[in-house]
Amino acid sequence: METELTQRPITILIAALGGEGGGVLADWIIAAATAEDYPVQSTSIPGVAQRTGATTYYIELFPVRAAELQGRRPVMTLAPAPADIDVMLASELLEAGRALQNGYVTPERTTLIASTHRIYTVEEKIALGDGRYDSERILAAAKALAKRAILTDFHKLAANTGAMINAALFGALAGSGILPLPRAACEEAIRSAGKGAEASLRGFSLGYAAAEGKAAPAAGLSTDVDAPADTDIPEAFLAERMRKDFPTEVQEMLAQGVARVTAFQDRAYAVLYLDRLEPIAKLDQARPGAEKSKLTRETARFLALWMSYEDVIRVADLKSRRSRFERVRTEVQAKPGEPVNIVEYLKPGVEEAAALLPPALSRRLVAWAEKRGLMHKLNVGLYVKTSSVTGFLMLRLLAALRPLRRMSARYVEEQALIERWLAAIAAAPDPELALEIALCGRLIKGYGDTNRRAKANFLRIFDTLVDGTTVTGPMERAKAVRAAREGALADPEGRGLEATLATHGIAPLPPQPKIIQFMRRPGAKRKAA
Amino acid sequence: MERQFNAEIESLKLGEGETFHGEGILAVTKALLQSGVSYVGGYQGAPVSHLLDVMVQARDYMDELGVHVEACTNEASAAAMLGASINYPARGAVTWKSIVGTNVASDALTHVASAGVIGGALIVVGEDYGEGASVAQERTHAVALKSSMWMLDPRPNLATIVNLVERGFELSEASNTPVFMDLRIRACHVHGSFRAGANRAPALSTRKLLADPAVFDYEHLPHPPATYRQEKLKMGVRLPAARKYIREHRLNELFAGSENSVGIICQGGLYNNLLRALNLVGLADDFGASRIPILALNVVYPLVPEEINEFCAGKTAVLVVEEGQPEFIEQDIATTLRRADIQTKLHGKDMLVMAGEYSSEVIVHGLLRFCAAHAPHLDTSDGTRWHESADAARARAAELLGTPLPPRPPNFCVGCPERPVFAAIKLVEREIGKRHISADIGCHSFATFAPFSLGNSILGYGMSLASGAGVAPMLAGRSMAIMGDGGFWHNGFLSGVASNQLNGGDKVLLIMKNGYTSATGTQDLVSSPGGSEELAQDRSPVRAERTIENTLRGAGVKWLRNVYSYRVADMTKTLREAFTTDEPGLKVIIAEGECQLERQRRIRPVLARLLGSGARVTRTRFGVDDATCSGDHSCIRLSGCPSLTLKASSDPLKVDPVAHVNHSCVGCGLCGEVAHAAILCPSFYRAEVVQNPNAWDRYLARLRSTVIGWLQPA
Repeated sequence: METELTQRPITILIAALGGEGGGVLADWIIAAATAEDYPVQSTSIPGVAQRTGATTYYIELFPVRAAELQGRRPVMTLAPAPADIDVMLASELLEAGRALQNGYVTPERTTLIASTHRIYTVEEKIALGDGRYDSERILAAAKALAKRAILTDFHKLAANTGAMINAALFGALAGSGILPLPRAACEEAIRSAGKGAEASLRGFSLGYAAAEGKAAPAAGLSTDVDAPADTDIPEAFLAERMRKDFPTEVQEMLAQGVARVTAFQDRAYAVLYLDRLEPIAKLDQARPGAEKSKLTRETARFLALWMSYEDVIRVADLKSRRSRFERVRTEVQAKPGEPVNIVEYLKPGVEEAAALLPPALSRRLVAWAEKRGLMHKLNVGLYVKTSSVTGFLMLRLLAALRPLRRMSARYVEEQALIERWLAAIAAAPDPELALEIALCGRLIKGYGDTNRRAKANFLRIFDTLVDGTTVTGPMERAKAVRAAREGALADPEGRGLEATLATHGIAPLPPQPKIIQFMRRPGAKRKAA
Repeated sequence: MERQFNAEIESLKLGEGETFHGEGILAVTKALLQSGVSYVGGYQGAPVSHLLDVMVQARDYMDELGVHVEACTNEASAAAMLGASINYPARGAVTWKSIVGTNVASDALTHVASAGVIGGALIVVGEDYGEGASVAQERTHAVALKSSMWMLDPRPNLATIVNLVERGFELSEASNTPVFMDLRIRACHVHGSFRAGANRAPALSTRKLLADPAVFDYEHLPHPPATYRQEKLKMGVRLPAARKYIREHRLNELFAGSENSVGIICQGGLYNNLLRALNLVGLADDFGASRIPILALNVVYPLVPEEINEFCAGKTAVLVVEEGQPEFIEQDIATTLRRADIQTKLHGKDMLVMAGEYSSEVIVHGLLRFCAAHAPHLDTSDGTRWHESADAARARAAELLGTPLPPRPPNFCVGCPERPVFAAIKLVEREIGKRHISADIGCHSFATFAPFSLGNSILGYGMSLASGAGVAPMLAGRSMAIMGDGGFWHNGFLSGVASNQLNGGDKVLLIMKNGYTSATGTQDLVSSPGGSEELAQDRSPVRAERTIENTLRGAGVKWLRNVYSYRVADMTKTLREAFTTDEPGLKVIIAEGECQLERQRRIRPVLARLLGSGARVTRTRFGVDDATCSGDHSCIRLSGCPSLTLKASSDPLKVDPVAHVNHSCVGCGLCGEVAHAAILCPSFYRAEVVQNPNAWDRYLARLRSTVIGWLQPA
């Protein structure tokens, strides 16, 4: 029989992260192909990338049995070439994106089998705000560029069966029907590899069904969002006022906000919340921005977050709630009947104490601590066992300080800053500028040093761009505020912020004073020969 | 060791005619046994680690054959093993990662090459070049040239590799010269098959001892006038002998083609990529039938002038496909052709890129240029079309994606004991300012990536302290060197510590004592902790091991501190002291914490067994309260742990994602320690899940939930 020379090797590229079993997947394919007498070859570049980095495995399979090749052996190459890949497997969405970026996925040839879950890169994770790459863009590109795209959350699929993701991907590869390998041969390859075969076979089976389109492989994004926290229904008179004074588009946000500030302090505090928002809503209606009620909605969001700033009282309250205990149990996958001890890592110090004291006392404490350089020296590292009766009572006791909060220095300080922010929003001559100022509320977050840095950035933007007169013209100012806000979220050292301010000719802040360490420098004493 | 090679060890025992299936580097291992080696040594490193790892694990079988296997402490000690073949008719092989390993080995190599060998000597180097490489990009070829050692670069299929190993020993013996076998990363990791031969028990071995040592022979020593004679022998005797052997045994392969006016000369290792490139251009089929004749050089040094001349004579033009720079082979061919006055046009680096890996795509570009110039009658439109579709795919992807994807470099594993040390360094730098940090080779060099971005230079394995010797005297602030225990034993103690002690240097040395050479696959060191079962689950077993400390004390180090890696606050304090103390001399901090990979590999089966037997086992996990997390990610900037990641906030008010500990957490506790040491936030918690609780646990849990239940809000 003359072999048709039109046959080409089937090329398979696997993009995986170190430790995900990409090598095992390649081995399974090799084993199944070898058992079926197809010439097959795989290569990889694991090296140091096996430590959680991105890596690839490349396989070529010649779809004519060796016995039918009359002694001839195909020459298979060791490295993938762009526009020359039949199956692109990616164990994670960003790595699928990387394959697209490198030209490995083409509409003429490539079936893309990719998991839609994300494992974020360090670069994405260290952003001060939201540094995550837009998954929708990768999905859209995948669908546009692949001949056929099998996209589903293979990670979840596998996890549900106790298998690793490689088993589900192997299943999808087998189910896609591109390889001349029967299902039984693939399953046998898993079985003969031994270890964990049963779980892997379950994962394989689900992957297989997903590729056949049987298991609803929704090409959508896997969501990593928990069900939203229960929102208490606001009391009737508050609900009534919300309906009366605010447009429908912001009701949902308002409900969240009112619930948050009520839980933080009390009913009167919620009234204050609505009082503060009302003029903004009026302004927004009288002078609508590009998106209807966006100013009101975003102000409502950041105002609620700011007004429910995280002090000791709030943290103690949140950590000792029943819902929180249950969440932890789920989070750590504790089985029913398994006791779970929860230990908090708390390290309160002068700052936290000062925040709770009345302003006058607080000032004296801070002055004393600063004079002696003790501001950060007196923090006590506590390991509080919230799940024990004493630990729990300690937190509840702190939470019970809530009625006294209005007298605390931190409360007074936060309210003053909030008023300054709201006044600036209301006073902005243009809706765009008002919105940009409102969105600066996003900068306010964190604890301790982080919170201090965030506020310093916020105030810097206010002093220079909002209240300052360096940039004139509302549109230019709106643009400048947005750039400054993004700059502030670019790095923790404030370089990004200062760089954007410098474009408007604003002189950078003087560098922080540096501590100089004095030490004796021993002369280059040579050992006597 | 990170990987177990039980199945692979079995395939090393295959007999005549059986089929070996497996990885390229393991095929080399099998070929060594088929060649009857007496001794094998080497230093681990991708892509050749497996050669030695499998032999170390197959110690029993090696004993049976009488093969001596040595896991050397560095490449120099491995290369020096080849000294056995100078005086004795024993075959030996050594292996390492190149170019770096070859550099370390080159002193011994020079002397073996000069003295010459009577037993076959093979040096298997993993050429860490191109995609996936982790070292500076240089060619091992240069070392072969300057020491007059021969170099094999076999076609990357198992049968050819195995054949070349066997022929390599014969070539070495026929020409009294050690031989390099150069294998690229992908060739080492290629999975394929070959027809095995029987293993040969070596003639001289641990089982067949020689009664007397070799007789004294001044001619083998590196002293004049013997050295002058050795140099003459290299060129006058050994080189011609090698060429004769190569030609007679047809080590280089000629693949005929119909287009005889042109030809391609390639390194054997690039043959498969070249064939795919020719296939894409439409000039070859999938079975290696190329229209353009190919001379595949399985021996890239020395070339055999007759072979080159015969191939080139009568052709209009020849293309040399040679990866890396400078173009040694092309220059060699040019000299040969010029001397023979053959007027064939010679192309190579003028049509192919000078630097970088020769993928099929790179070769296609070169082929299109070459054909356009010298074979315009050939239809290469397939290649042009393919090339355009690749460009189109990339352009379209770039357009659809909008912004380039973030890179994903390697990182410390979940629970790695080295990560907390870098968190501590970051915290100390906030207080006392930036310091010059000499980094080193090893997992800890991942600290040069985000989020740490620490380390001013890397000068080689174990060289960190030595590389700070010139820097420290110029800087106002005390500088620091970081090395692993692997680096310490590889070179760091002698080049760094001993030199510093001699010169009274005032520096800080931080040694990561994790017990193994972790980056290369957790191979053992002289200071690896012994035993396994009795090693406690909670404590780091490296604590009891004191070889490094004793060695340092023996060298006169006075200021020495051992700190448990995960105690970030303690480490911060110790670092601060080391940087600011008035105490003269070297300040050594030993960061103790067993490699988490190795620890998990050890304790997982123990824990599974305990759990299965119904014993009480506490499982520790860390978590973040997303209600109190404000989404600033300071904790991630100080940790970078893969299990500390992001998730969308469940709070509809918050726009930024919150920190989140995923299920890969091994409970090392770093996130909590960092939160404490840096006074970050109160969001971290430790959860201890009591599995198989006893009666007291159950009673306590009931009591607590009842009392707490009375007072707890929803």
